[in-house]
Amino acid sequence: MRRKFLKYIFFLLVILVAVIVAIGIGVWNKPHENIKDAVAIKTGAEALYQSLSDKTSQAKSMYVNKVVAVTGKVVRVMKNQQEHQVVFLQSGVNGGSVNCTMEENIENIKEGDTLTLKGICIGYSGEDDEMGLRGDVFLVRCYRS
Amino acid sequence: MMMKKNILLACITLFALSTVNAQLYFTKNGQVSFFSKTILENINADNEQVISVLNIQTGEIQFSLLNNAFHFPKAKMEEDFNEDYMESSKYPNSIFKGNVLNIANINFEKDGTSEVSVTGSLTIHGVVKIITIPGQIIVQGGKVSAVASFKISPKDYNIKIPSVVSNKISDSIDVTVKCLYQEK
Repeated sequence: MRRKFLKYIFFLLVILVAVIVAIGIGVWNKPHENIKDAVAIKTGAEALYQSLSDKTSQAKSMYVNKVVAVTGKVVRVMKNQQEHQVVFLQSGVNGGSVNCTMEENIENIKEGDTLTLKGICIGYSGEDDEMGLRGDVFLVRCYRS
Repeated sequence: MMMKKNILLACITLFALSTVNAQLYFTKNGQVSFFSKTILENINADNEQVISVLNIQTGEIQFSLLNNAFHFPKAKMEEDFNEDYMESSKYPNSIFKGNVLNIANINFEKDGTSEVSVTGSLTIHGVVKIITIPGQIIVQGGKVSAVASFKISPKDYNIKIPSVVSNKISDSIDVTVKCLYQEK
């Protein structure tokens, strides 16, 4: 009777360990957020740039690390060293842009086009008065919305 | 007479400004990657939003990046990196400010690869360390780029790795920098 009980406990322990391991593996391998299907905060490129370049904590908590769909006018398109397309949207400030690194390249895109890009906003960076450089607002893993 | 003087002054100022700008090269989409080989699995991440400015006259060079722009193959790695190790909300940027020591030896008019040494302050996780690293400045078809590889230790920057995952993260992390500049 006692042996049967111990067997039962051992069996339960094995199941418990297996469940814990499976949960651990699941958490460790969970996929990245699906940007394409995520609900995005909608804004304009100039408004987003203005909000984040003012460096208020309110703007940071509203946009940074969030999925944002930003609409703006294309001022430049280039490929970075990893051959990822980077689209710069007009910010309303000379030398500053909303700098969007694309997850999927957009074909036939040109300066002057107005489009909406959806990606994760990582913040405003790069302002350097000493070097005379304006900052950019950065969006990563972007898709055309 | 006064007007002529003002025009001359404006011309001199414009010339001086254009000369200063011609010395400056910058990028806002440079790359910094890191790699850590461990028994369980390799950990690597890329940041393609690195801002860098190089003054080819003085050798002054700066790099700045947002820590939360590092992209990992696994979401959990990215989450742990930002929340537990780098504490990206508290320390959003990593910054290097330094000088290319032998910049005067580089001919920016001619294609070629120059071995350089860069010394400066590296700020990670709120800790500032003076480092010297070897690198290369490449001039090709009028374009200037910089590459460097070096190692850093999380311990040096007060980045605490919990013992339960310490076997996943090695003591020394390989860092690679690649920046293709454009003239300002």
